Amino acid sequence: MATKASRGMAVPAAMSEGGSGASVEGVPVPTYEWMGLTAEWGTRVKPGEHGLRLSDLNVGIYGEVPEVWEDQTRRPRGALPRPGVPPLPYNLRSKHQMWADSAANLYEEAIQRRWIPATEVPWHTLEPLPEDIERAVCQVCTELSQYANTEIEIITYWQDQMSYGYYEVKQFLATATFDCARLIEVLRKRALANGGGLGVESRGLVNRMILESRGGWTESAAYQYLMRGTFTMRVLSGLLNAAHNDAERMIFAKAIEDHARHLTYGYDHLKYAVSHQAGQADIMQTLLSLGEVMMAAELEETTLRPALAIIFGGGIQGGRTVGMETFLHLVGDFVRDYLALCDWLGVPRTEMLHPMLKKYLEY
Amino acid sequence: MSEAPVKQQEYALDTGWMQQMGEWGMHAEPGKRGLTLNEIQIGSYGEIPELSKNMTGRPRGAGERADAYRVGAYGVRAKSEIWLQNATFLYEEALQRQWSSATDVPWHTIEPLPDDIEEAECLLCTFFNEVEFVAGDVPARWVANTTPDFLEPRHVLIAQVMDEARHMDVFRKRALANGGGLMRMSGATSGFVGSIDLARDFTEMSTRLHISGEGAVLTMFRMGELFGQNEAEKIMYRLCAQDEARHVAFGVMHLRYLAETAPERREEIEFYLDEAEAQIMAGVQNPAGTQAETSEALAILLGGGKEHYDEGHKKLLVIRRRQLKEYMQRVKTAGFGARFENGRSTVPQQYEAAI
Repeated sequence: MATKASRGMAVPAAMSEGGSGASVEGVPVPTYEWMGLTAEWGTRVKPGEHGLRLSDLNVGIYGEVPEVWEDQTRRPRGALPRPGVPPLPYNLRSKHQMWADSAANLYEEAIQRRWIPATEVPWHTLEPLPEDIERAVCQVCTELSQYANTEIEIITYWQDQMSYGYYEVKQFLATATFDCARLIEVLRKRALANGGGLGVESRGLVNRMILESRGGWTESAAYQYLMRGTFTMRVLSGLLNAAHNDAERMIFAKAIEDHARHLTYGYDHLKYAVSHQAGQADIMQTLLSLGEVMMAAELEETTLRPALAIIFGGGIQGGRTVGMETFLHLVGDFVRDYLALCDWLGVPRTEMLHPMLKKYLEY
Repeated sequence: MSEAPVKQQEYALDTGWMQQMGEWGMHAEPGKRGLTLNEIQIGSYGEIPELSKNMTGRPRGAGERADAYRVGAYGVRAKSEIWLQNATFLYEEALQRQWSSATDVPWHTIEPLPDDIEEAECLLCTFFNEVEFVAGDVPARWVANTTPDFLEPRHVLIAQVMDEARHMDVFRKRALANGGGLMRMSGATSGFVGSIDLARDFTEMSTRLHISGEGAVLTMFRMGELFGQNEAEKIMYRLCAQDEARHVAFGVMHLRYLAETAPERREEIEFYLDEAEAQIMAGVQNPAGTQAETSEALAILLGGGKEHYDEGHKKLLVIRRRQLKEYMQRVKTAGFGARFENGRSTVPQQYEAAI
């Protein structure tokens, strides 16, 4: 075969070599028209100490991630296009609309850290809890399930609009929805395994905000990860600290592990968007000022508030004192995390923070 | 978390929500396969509505709130549109059988291949890299459009998106691991009428994707033992076949459920199958199809090089026959086998001719 060194060049040498020669009866004569059609040949990636990872593939043209990917087909990055292929509605075609450098490694990490609620959670360690605490745990499971469901629905809304040029992000988001499905599964199992049941649904103020963020994936990521996700991480950490048995400890530890990947991607993407798209920081300021209103309102009305207070306080009585105090500190920590992240992103919010969130800084 | 200096203050604590919760007193217990989704189909939590009125994203069985936002806008709310009997099993199996293309494929077994064989393998990998995620993009879209009351099929579809991401990745890895590269795209899954992407109905999409498209690919993956050139490729195809079998099973079992519970849609489904069958060998979505250039690549791989193309082509015919045979079996299992007896389907004739 002729050398494939020339980029984008069709090398017809293989065809002229003839192959099998004359046709055999019933066997169509091969054309071999596809042979030699490559943009870059001679690639030989090697596994590293963690195996052959997605990021190992970013060599030569295969690692060139363009700022804009105009191709609306499913052409893999680095493959040759085929003229005349009708487009698909890939509406997100700019790198700043979805990119995060960490996506490829987070994808591999998600696969390595897979876990199975059915068989790996030590369900036999569940023991009956006082009814008020069991009700609180079940309520938290219900609301966190809705959080995860919202994340699934917003990712899957955008995922098929993301172009193939940024396939690492599409692949990472596939693991994120899978994580969310597993979280819904394990929380449902927990709620139905210890004498309780599901709680009452959330009113869904922030869920609505996230699902209505249709201005672009970056807007969704700001609400889903910077705002809701940062709060959720604090909630999961609080639940891990207050776990009643090994089953709950494992559930919340694994949930944190998964959620941390989602946040890493989300923060990384927001940073990329703010630093690579003129005007994005200003847009973020507007989005966050609106989002803070919703977030603050939900923190006032959510049933997570009393439910977590009961868990942290060891019952209703303790929930009225130390439990609620602990919850308020948890929210204070969330607001501090949020402000620090906003500073890091280049979208400082400290001076403009909504008063309804600012009040938690006293805790 | 910051330290909580306990103030001697008593806060208001609303406990009214405790009276609005879902059914109470559930004691799901692990079975021999652990605490699977099947074990939590208890009480009202196992009752699947024929028509979901859940527009708020509420987990099935949770207490309802009159003031909850109707954020769902779910288009798929009838059970017959998406349900299948074995979804819990397929989802749990998907969890059990996750694998890593980075570490579970023995990449070290890959050795330099003759140019024609490497190029054939790379064309096939380009094809799969391109088309595998159609089965990720499209189910993802339907997940967002399906009420969470149908949690189990939604979860299977989400697991499928995960599987397809891994397939896209493993074929890209193979194409770039042995001195080759990606080649020209096929354009097989584009925006033309009748394509998987553009289906406006879930069952129509599932028929195109799971029964026809993935069914043909599943047969191919199963035959990977024949055209894989080394242990890495054989394992790659074997692991992909394992995943693909679940996806095809979803389609078959859903179609079966629909046939049993919505007989008024049978004729409509027959038309979808007519369309699928017209493309099964002649379309370019089947990598072993008569018009697909990947067929030439397969003949090279099956024969062991261009000089054995004719021999490889004979083996390719075996794959095509097997694709048709397995397709017929799936359609029979789904409850639409009469079409092969009453003359409606041309697949039996295609099967006889593919020798």
